[in-house]
Amino acid sequence: MIRAILRAQWLSMRIFRLASGRRGAMFSAIVAVLWYGFWTFLAVVAEELTAARGLRAQIETWLPAGMLGVFAYWQLAPLASATMGASLDLRKLLVYPVPRRSLFLVEILLRIATCAELLLLLTGAAIGLLRNPAFGGWRGLARVPLAVVLFAAFNLMLAAGLRNLIERLLSRKGIREAIALLLMLVGVLPRLLMVTGFGGALWARRMQHVFPTAANPFWPWGAAAHCMLGLSTGVRPVTAAAVLAAWTAAAYLFGRWQFMRGLRFDFQAAQATVASAKARPFAERLYRLPSLVLPDPLCAMVEKELRSLVRTPRFRLVFVMGFSFGLVVWLPMILRGRVTHSAVSGNFLAVVSLYALFLLAQVTYGNAFGFDGSAAQLYFLAPVAIWRALAAKNIAAAIFIFLEIAAVAAACTLLRLGISSGQIGEAFLVTGIAALYLLGIGNLSSVNYPRPMSAQRVSGGGSAGRTQGVLFLLYPVALLPVFLAYLARYAFDNQAVFYAVLACAAALGVAIYWMAMESAVSAARSRREAILAELSRGEGPMLAE
Amino acid sequence: MPDTPAIAVHDLRKLYGDKAAVDSLNLNVPRGCFFGFLGPNGAGKSTTIRMLTGLVPPSSGSIELLGMPLPDRELEIKQRIGLVPDESLLFDRLTGAEFLEFVGRMYGLPRPVARERAQSLLDLFELREKRKLIAEYSKGMRKRLAMAASLIHHPDLFLMDEPFEGVDAVGARLMKDILLDQVRRGATIFLTSHVLEVVERLCDRVAIIDKGKIVREGSMDELRGGTESLEDVFVRVVGAGREFHELEWLK
Repeated sequence: MIRAILRAQWLSMRIFRLASGRRGAMFSAIVAVLWYGFWTFLAVVAEELTAARGLRAQIETWLPAGMLGVFAYWQLAPLASATMGASLDLRKLLVYPVPRRSLFLVEILLRIATCAELLLLLTGAAIGLLRNPAFGGWRGLARVPLAVVLFAAFNLMLAAGLRNLIERLLSRKGIREAIALLLMLVGVLPRLLMVTGFGGALWARRMQHVFPTAANPFWPWGAAAHCMLGLSTGVRPVTAAAVLAAWTAAAYLFGRWQFMRGLRFDFQAAQATVASAKARPFAERLYRLPSLVLPDPLCAMVEKELRSLVRTPRFRLVFVMGFSFGLVVWLPMILRGRVTHSAVSGNFLAVVSLYALFLLAQVTYGNAFGFDGSAAQLYFLAPVAIWRALAAKNIAAAIFIFLEIAAVAAACTLLRLGISSGQIGEAFLVTGIAALYLLGIGNLSSVNYPRPMSAQRVSGGGSAGRTQGVLFLLYPVALLPVFLAYLARYAFDNQAVFYAVLACAAALGVAIYWMAMESAVSAARSRREAILAELSRGEGPMLAE
Repeated sequence: MPDTPAIAVHDLRKLYGDKAAVDSLNLNVPRGCFFGFLGPNGAGKSTTIRMLTGLVPPSSGSIELLGMPLPDRELEIKQRIGLVPDESLLFDRLTGAEFLEFVGRMYGLPRPVARERAQSLLDLFELREKRKLIAEYSKGMRKRLAMAASLIHHPDLFLMDEPFEGVDAVGARLMKDILLDQVRRGATIFLTSHVLEVVERLCDRVAIIDKGKIVREGSMDELRGGTESLEDVFVRVVGAGREFHELEWLK
């Protein structure tokens, strides 16, 4: 049965890949090579470091912290990127007589797809340790792989359980955004408290003990490191392996428990109350603000985008994450930067705004027709030029981008972070210019790599991997003109130079946006059949990000 | 009423690789006609409608709608067409009223007019839960809303792919009455449906397509020949009587 499920998924993906053509497949391959090439490089670095005989003391100190880092990345990366990875589409599978333990096994296997890079890293470290005589060399051939496999299994099952738990929590009305915020704050709070000085001494002491705490062999990462290193201090490696096995068993029980609860959970019922569009005269007035400056049908399409996106759970979550996550991630830097005056702390607001701009790509401009699905055909059926539809979607995205910056600025003001009005204006300007480039790229990806997106599910059915890949690769390129402006300000220590370079970047941005729009319109005309086929297609038995 | 036919299709073909989904299709649908376009699953009905709406470019052949060539005068044609496609064109995160107003404005109606028409169409189609999002609509409600959207700009030509699918008897009756009324005022309706009784009752002319080719076309009386029902004609023309008894394990 598992093979049948995997085969059905493979066939679904194969059909999709054939439809997208050789160009798309080649691009996917390039993105994959770059991404996994980067992680392979890191794995080689890890292998070289752990193989260094002279670094024994440092390896003993750093490996547990590294394992803690792997654990944190494994569990938190999906939250930070607002993508939960692939999962089973239970609505399609529950009708068949498949044992639930088999479904759980497939779900666990799917988790591997979201963390292959970490497996590379762990493998690199493990090979290095096996080559290092200071840690027993090849005599650890049983011990080191066992620790890696148990640690990976622990993380896989914990991630599967957490994914199910978080997805259920995030599907509930009202608490979705609050939960997302809470999860992020929990992750960053210790660091924040330490830097802000609240309970400073206590937190500083605690943080100084992060390495010894990570090395505690009764934590999974500590036990894994202890077992991999074959240390005899404190507990014996075999005891550490037993501790890790116990953690893995606990993670299995947790993962299975959450998966079973997910099977019984009614997502539709949980979201039913969200769906009602209550009469909100104030919101209604806001939706109609574009009509003050825009003519129909452009205005009608902008209004439609604003209404639809505000009512889309997935969009709301990413929007909240855009300012909250950026804020809490970069906040410690700005607080520390009051003393050190680093580049990030000096341009904190602009940095957070650019992060938010990137995050919004997947739910707005990167895959502009994604939430419309098959209804996108209306843009081709109505007597409206397609460039207007793209422009309307860009305008709506720009409105949300600027709202995002306003939210970040308001939060900074509330936190008394000393953000000046000049910095706020600069953040709007810089993000607006960067947006010109990204919206242009987004228009091209929207018509060349469209994919239906689930509005109801917080994860699953996200924008195409290629779309994310395009944006991931082109994001630094798109930010280059803005970066050059900052570089000019730094080099010449002159605001006028900064604004002059920004003006050039803006002019170039307009030209690039214009050219990208023309190209996107041409592609939309010639590919309309393929676009609508992509947007109307169903998924296989799995929901893939 | 102008002399040109509402739909004039000449030697229309749509190839997917080597396979012809629509093959040398010729159609002339007079204005003011209620035209039924029938065929078994996969015969090419939806592909034909998608070509008529400009969603799918034909591999060869020509299309004229309301006397205007497609795609040369695409925007003018679209302005005068009402559509109920096979796939949903409804935006789930809008309410019915918001969607109808949006569609009206897309077709160039001023906002107050679009809103007024939207409200009256919602009342007419008994979609009175005005604050309910389309995502919560049942299948029948979605079809009724799609039908309402096709009417809001008062088009001259309706292209409808399975408009009655999933609609209850009361809703279907209302939709039929509205369509007949549209024909009486001079509009043309091009409709596909698997419910042959409905086609038999509503349509003046019928074409049957099979494997991408028109295999029968004529007025309803011509097709039935006075003795057969439309279903008999249809089954005879497209072939039937598949031998399921051969499947021993199914007995």
